[in-house]
Amino acid sequence: MSIARKCVPFTPFEGELSRCTIAIVTAGGVHLNDQEPFNIADELGDLTYRIIPEDVDTSRLQVTHHHYDHTDADKDINVVFPIDVLRDLQAEGFIKGIAKKHIGYMGYTMQLKAMYEGTAREIAIEIDKGSRADAVILTGG
Amino acid sequence: MKGIPTVLITVSPEVSAQMRPPRALYPKGFKIGNSMGGPFMRELQEQVLRDALTLLGENTRPGQITTHEYPAYGEYHEPPRVRN
Repeated sequence: MSIARKCVPFTPFEGELSRCTIAIVTAGGVHLNDQEPFNIADELGDLTYRIIPEDVDTSRLQVTHHHYDHTDADKDINVVFPIDVLRDLQAEGFIKGIAKKHIGYMGYTMQLKAMYEGTAREIAIEIDKGSRADAVILTGG
Repeated sequence: MKGIPTVLITVSPEVSAQMRPPRALYPKGFKIGNSMGGPFMRELQEQVLRDALTLLGENTRPGQITTHEYPAYGEYHEPPRVRN
C-alpha cells in the first residue's frame, strides 16, 4: 500500500496542554441528526465529512456507519466522539479550550487515494483554518 | 499550513500501524466501537483522553503505537490482526 511508504507526517507539539485548544476528528461516522447521513449504500464508501460545532448537545449526534457495531455509541456518543469528556478535561484545567469545529466522517472507503489526497486534506484545512485547534484527537470506530 | 499535531486513539493497533500515525494510543483490549471505553464510563474515558493528549508532549517515535492498560474497563477483546 503506497500510503505506508510515505514519511510519517509528524508535527511537533510545542507548549502546554493547559494552554491548548483541542479538536476531535472521528472516522466513526458521527454526524448531527439534521445533517445528511453518510451513504452506506455505496460499496465504494462515502468520501464526505460533517462539521460538528463546539457547543453541540450530544443528544443531537448520531452514527451512520455499517462497518462496526455502534450500539454503544448510540447509547453514549463519547465512546467514539469524546466531546463531553473534553469538556470535563477543560473544566478541570487539563486543557484550555474546545475547538470551534470538529469533524465526523465514515472511515470506510475503497477509494483510498481520494480519501488521502482529497478528504483528508479538506479536513486538515477545515481544522487548520476554522477551528483554532492547537492539536487534534483522532478516533475510529 | 505548518501542520497540526495529532494523536490517534486506536483499538486496532496492527491495522493502524500500517498507516504509521504520528502518535497513537492503544487502550489494550478495548473492543471496536469503544475507543474511549464503555458507554458512560466517564472516569475511564477521561483517563484515556488524558493519556492520549499527554502523548503529544512525550518523546514518542513517529509511527509507533503506545499501549496502555486500563483494568477499569473490565473486559478484554482481541484486536483484529493484519493478514499478510
